[in-house]
Amino acid sequence: MNKYEIVVIIHPDLDDEAIEQALGRIEGWVTESGGSIDNVDKWGKRRMSYEIQKQDEGIYYLLNVSMPPALISDLEKNLTILEPVIRYMIVAKNK
Amino acid sequence: MAEETHGSSRSNRSEQRPRRKYNTRYVRKPRFCQFCSDKTLAIDYKNTSLLRKFTTEEGKIKPRRQTGACAKHQRAVSREIKRARHIALLPFTGGTWEEKAR
Repeated sequence: MNKYEIVVIIHPDLDDEAIEQALGRIEGWVTESGGSIDNVDKWGKRRMSYEIQKQDEGIYYLLNVSMPPALISDLEKNLTILEPVIRYMIVAKNK
Repeated sequence: MAEETHGSSRSNRSEQRPRRKYNTRYVRKPRFCQFCSDKTLAIDYKNTSLLRKFTTEEGKIKPRRQTGACAKHQRAVSREIKRARHIALLPFTGGTWEEKAR
């Protein structure tokens, strides 16, 4: 089990329910692979430095996750498919 | 600085002039790596106000001769800037220009 930080940018036009659903799916994938979500930090709607998918704003979430490293690639594959997520980044946290 | 602005009147020093022309934005190198002297200062992609100091106005990463960071920390800074760029916390190009345009 390693610790990871996942930053997810969600489409700004979505309502709270759709955001909850998307985050629920991410949590589902993490727990399915035997990991756990330690903390969810909502940064809220932010103006992005450049446009992503024609949007200049995005809803940012930071997830602190511990997960087996072998299954990160699966999570990454799932995040690319997840429609509300316009950008994501997974960073390994070593300490 | 006063010498540089009057550079055009000194046409007899033609050898030095081309160099000076592009050297007007010279930034003095700090003597110590600030991350080595302050161990609590974490280089992190989330800390955009810190990383902004290590980019030029156009959004480029400043060279080591301007930032004064040691090799290890300069690598860390550039890595975190690239991470911040990926999630649109920092611009790839034209930081100030784009903010004005909006």
